[in-house]
Amino acid sequence: MTIRWPLLVRRVHKWLALFVGIQVVLWTITGFYMVSVHIDYIHGDHLVKAPEARGFDLARLVPAEQVVAAHPQTQELRLQHWLDRPVWRVQTTEGRYLVDGQSGQKLPTLTQAQAEASARSVYTGNPTIVSSKLLMEPPLEMQSAKPPFWQIEFEGWNRPTLYISPTTGELISRRHALWRVFDFAWMLHIMDYDERSNVNNPLLRVATWSAVIMALSGAWLLLWSFPRKKRKKA
Amino acid sequence: MVAALVLPPEEEEESMKMDTIAPRKRKPVRLSPLLFRRIHKWVGLILGLQFVLWTVSGAVMALLDMEKVGGHSAAPPPTASSGWSPDIKTPATFGKVEAITLRNLVSGPVFEIKDERGLRLADARTGAPVVIEEQLAADIARSAFHHEVPVRSIERLEKPNLEAREHAAPMWRVNFADEENSSSYVSAVTGKPLVNRGDTWRTWDFVWMLHNMDYVNRTSFNHPLIIFVGFGALWLSFTGFYLLFKSFRRREFNWVLGKEKFE
Repeated sequence: MTIRWPLLVRRVHKWLALFVGIQVVLWTITGFYMVSVHIDYIHGDHLVKAPEARGFDLARLVPAEQVVAAHPQTQELRLQHWLDRPVWRVQTTEGRYLVDGQSGQKLPTLTQAQAEASARSVYTGNPTIVSSKLLMEPPLEMQSAKPPFWQIEFEGWNRPTLYISPTTGELISRRHALWRVFDFAWMLHIMDYDERSNVNNPLLRVATWSAVIMALSGAWLLLWSFPRKKRKKA
Repeated sequence: MVAALVLPPEEEEESMKMDTIAPRKRKPVRLSPLLFRRIHKWVGLILGLQFVLWTVSGAVMALLDMEKVGGHSAAPPPTASSGWSPDIKTPATFGKVEAITLRNLVSGPVFEIKDERGLRLADARTGAPVVIEEQLAADIARSAFHHEVPVRSIERLEKPNLEAREHAAPMWRVNFADEENSSSYVSAVTGKPLVNRGDTWRTWDFVWMLHNMDYVNRTSFNHPLIIFVGFGALWLSFTGFYLLFKSFRRREFNWVLGKEKFE
């Protein structure tokens, strides 16, 4: 018995499509979303200002050697501005905190008003705050970031949200509606419905290789799809 | 679902009949399996190659171990300090100081300063300029990326190459003699460990290029070409999905549903 290749390939194409069809539709929809909206916009670059280079007058500040002498567990010490005042950011294995640049005193964790002011100082949009909460458990959209952090949501159709460190006042993350849609699309794209980050999951591996064979069999079918028609008309 | 699949055998092109429609010079476009089949075929012909490449590159990326690909997370944190030397002293600065950081390099504590003389390192105890030499770069790479194998070669890059494209030059590329042929990149200005790349990443990056269609820089997936082809792929998948409902006959499901009783 001779194998009727076009028939066999067609069956393979059809049955694999039946098996992974919905996922292929999801791949193309989510893929199209991810390529259409620029990734910088998704990252929320438009939500925050670039830090301006303001400069420091070292002569009027507590010197670094004095700070590390008082905080020997320091791994890295960096001078930065926080709400218009110079501060030393101390990084240790346990986390980060601030030391006042003028008094040399360790600063307590941020109050709600300070957290809101920190968020406003970097935000580019309408500064009306809809809600601000100190979170002890990370929401899904903060992925692997370690809480606690201040979640500060501003007014706007896309629900822009900034996450602020309660110990340093630094911006940790920015989120908005299109980021959340992107994250959902990414989850569907890589088929990791729990963590949304494992691109090696077995489900994805089976689905992708099935799609490879489906696509190749489809490409093969093209060879029969065009010339045959011409011959019949002739 | 099953009811929708129980449809007459697939229509061949010749079976198209127009007798219900008033005759016109131009054939009216009719929404039919035939039209969808045509769209499916033609989009497949034009964009099929990229569709195949998307599935193949996607499948390869799903196979490559994420951990070995790496390169996405920032450099590991600096090693824990065992206290600070009492002779640390802020070095002389020039003009407006834009940034100053005190940290440990494998060779000892340094200040990283950005002022009117630019971005530079100074020894935290003597204030002398610290230059990231070949050997120091190799030591930094070894400790930051946990390499235990010998260094094969070291080169200095004045411009970032494709592997370190997200980082600022000048930089050192330290090649290690391991199975992955790892290359660790270290900033020649600040001594910061930048990124580590191995053969798994190199394979991944090539297929990622096929996937994102940015053949020059390999980074952007928001360019007009991919948006255009992606839009075409939507037609391919939508028409294909629709055709699924037209391509199966009831008897093809006998193996699950059993034979139809009234036949």
